[in-house]
Amino acid sequence: MAIEDTGYLSINELKCRQKLPGEARYEKGPVAVIECVQEIPCNPCEAACPKNAILIGEPITNLPVLDEDACIGCGICIAKCSGLAIFVVDKSGKDSTGKGKVSFPYEFYPLPQKGDKVKGVNRSGEIVCDAVVTSVINPKSYDHTPVITIEVPVEWADEVRNMKAAPSNEPESDDDMIVCRCEEVTLGEIRQAIREGARDVTGVKRRVRAGMGLCQGRTCEKMVQQILCQELGLSPDQVGKSSARPPVRPITFGRLAKGEVE
Amino acid sequence: MNSYDVTVIGAGAIGTSVAYHLVEKGFSVALLDHGDIAHGSSSHCDAVALICDKKPGLDTQMGAASIAHYVELSKIFSYDFEFDQKGCLYVCETESEYEVARKYAQTQAADGYDMNMIDAKQLQDMEPFLAKDLMGGIWTPGDAAMSPYKVCFAFTQEARKKGLKVFTYCTIQEIRLDEKNAVQAIVTDKGTIQTKKIVNCAGAWAPDIGKLVGIDIPIQPRKGMNLISEKTERISWHKILEFGYMLSKFEDIQFKRNVSPLVEEYNVAFNIEYTKADNILLGGYRGFRGFDIRSEWEAMKAIAERGLRFFPVLSGINCIRSYAGVRPFVKDHLPIVSEVEGIPGFYIAAGHEGDGICLSPITGKLMAQMIAGEPTDFDISKLRFSRFDEPSPACEVLV
Repeated sequence: MAIEDTGYLSINELKCRQKLPGEARYEKGPVAVIECVQEIPCNPCEAACPKNAILIGEPITNLPVLDEDACIGCGICIAKCSGLAIFVVDKSGKDSTGKGKVSFPYEFYPLPQKGDKVKGVNRSGEIVCDAVVTSVINPKSYDHTPVITIEVPVEWADEVRNMKAAPSNEPESDDDMIVCRCEEVTLGEIRQAIREGARDVTGVKRRVRAGMGLCQGRTCEKMVQQILCQELGLSPDQVGKSSARPPVRPITFGRLAKGEVE
Repeated sequence: MNSYDVTVIGAGAIGTSVAYHLVEKGFSVALLDHGDIAHGSSSHCDAVALICDKKPGLDTQMGAASIAHYVELSKIFSYDFEFDQKGCLYVCETESEYEVARKYAQTQAADGYDMNMIDAKQLQDMEPFLAKDLMGGIWTPGDAAMSPYKVCFAFTQEARKKGLKVFTYCTIQEIRLDEKNAVQAIVTDKGTIQTKKIVNCAGAWAPDIGKLVGIDIPIQPRKGMNLISEKTERISWHKILEFGYMLSKFEDIQFKRNVSPLVEEYNVAFNIEYTKADNILLGGYRGFRGFDIRSEWEAMKAIAERGLRFFPVLSGINCIRSYAGVRPFVKDHLPIVSEVEGIPGFYIAAGHEGDGICLSPITGKLMAQMIAGEPTDFDISKLRFSRFDEPSPACEVLV
């Protein structure tokens, strides 16, 4: 899938366009990664850089080019990019236990706090790894674009570009709502199945029987899909549906044996 | 993704058990699957651990040891996998079937297994909804039923407590061997795992993993299909199968049943199970259809027809679902539980056909013993991978 289909640059596309710093630069410390593809009149990043490491020049529709050696990874450009396309990645492991760090703009409430255990999310919005928030910077000069830094396993540092608050284990008020009526499965049980690793409709089905009753998921399957999408930040395509299994409607074994189907 | 002593490929009934038994021995273990836990055969099957459908000898020995191990696990696991030692009835339609069954039960009883014959009257007392014209059958009180996918979740959850790392939805791209052809690493779409040992527990998909190290594993997918009823009143109290089930399982037994052409064509053998979810699981059909697990209408008809022969009461009960899965079939009906000569560190635990759930605990235990370099509980040289390179021995006959 290319950017035309997804709206973001895949890791291979970034490599082809030489947007990712080389390993040698990564070793030296934090560095900006500019994943901008918008050839529009826009240059706040160029003006924001205190080291003059970002060049757009003339015409103003040029894509920004980073001088990796001049960049100190301060992260000011992150908040200034109106397209939220700049990140700072630190794979040097200099100030921690071999972990990588990723800084990104985060325009959501509630803001996380330093020390929160969260989930690292990749460019397509999928949760890919565990992460810990190491800083939340939100000065007035950032103009409502807080910059969050999270610590992730270093092999995920080129993939993770955002975070999602880890699902809390606190009971929610609608947890006792019945979703699958045939098997009497509640929303809370489905959430629990998701916390235990279910990532698609059949995964939920196997864990809590939602969709295994008389109606075969006709009533609840769409809701189960929706819950999965909400909890995991996935699209309906990604959570799939259950396999179609005949008979379409209940039929007695007596009629089935005789092949009596209307 | 780090480094582990052993990496187990496949999170089904076999892989999760192998992983559990390895962490029990103190190994650091990663469990990999390209999908969810129990997404393959282990959630597309029925759920019994029986010795009464095994050939006398090693097959039965493994089954009995596995059931005994299940009893222990069901006591110590905090995850309930719905284990129920309800016993199994093997029912006979004709006198000649009854005779064969009697000889079989005698052989098994002589080997020390609790298996005895019951007559038509006893059969009716135990299962009042069974057809009235049956001859009797074999009663095996120790046989058990459970939820197959919950077995996988149980093993995984218990093993996690002891440090197992689980990587689901993780696709293997390459297995790296070193200059001595020994296992070195697994490359996946989520990163590389350094590991000196790999156990291939991928069941019907084990040949795909074998290809990555250049070996040919002779496992084929064999389809099995079942029907599910609506929630209903209890109509059976034990696992019940027809003796002709043996016939559908082992083609080397020459035994003809008096059944319709449809039942014959689809190799349907009656078996029934009343589950903890209050519905009836009615089987079963076996056939070779590659990896196509779509339900077959004619096979559904045949299963229903055969079910009615034994349980006429089914005629008014609704069928709400059919499902099929593949079983990892090996020609000699024995699983492969073995190291692989020439590839140090590469092991196989696969090919259990319809016995994966039954043999899961014992397979895990034996494989962990093998990897730890300990003597195995019993001689499993018959399960070695290299047997396929040797001239085939005379066919073992059941009775």
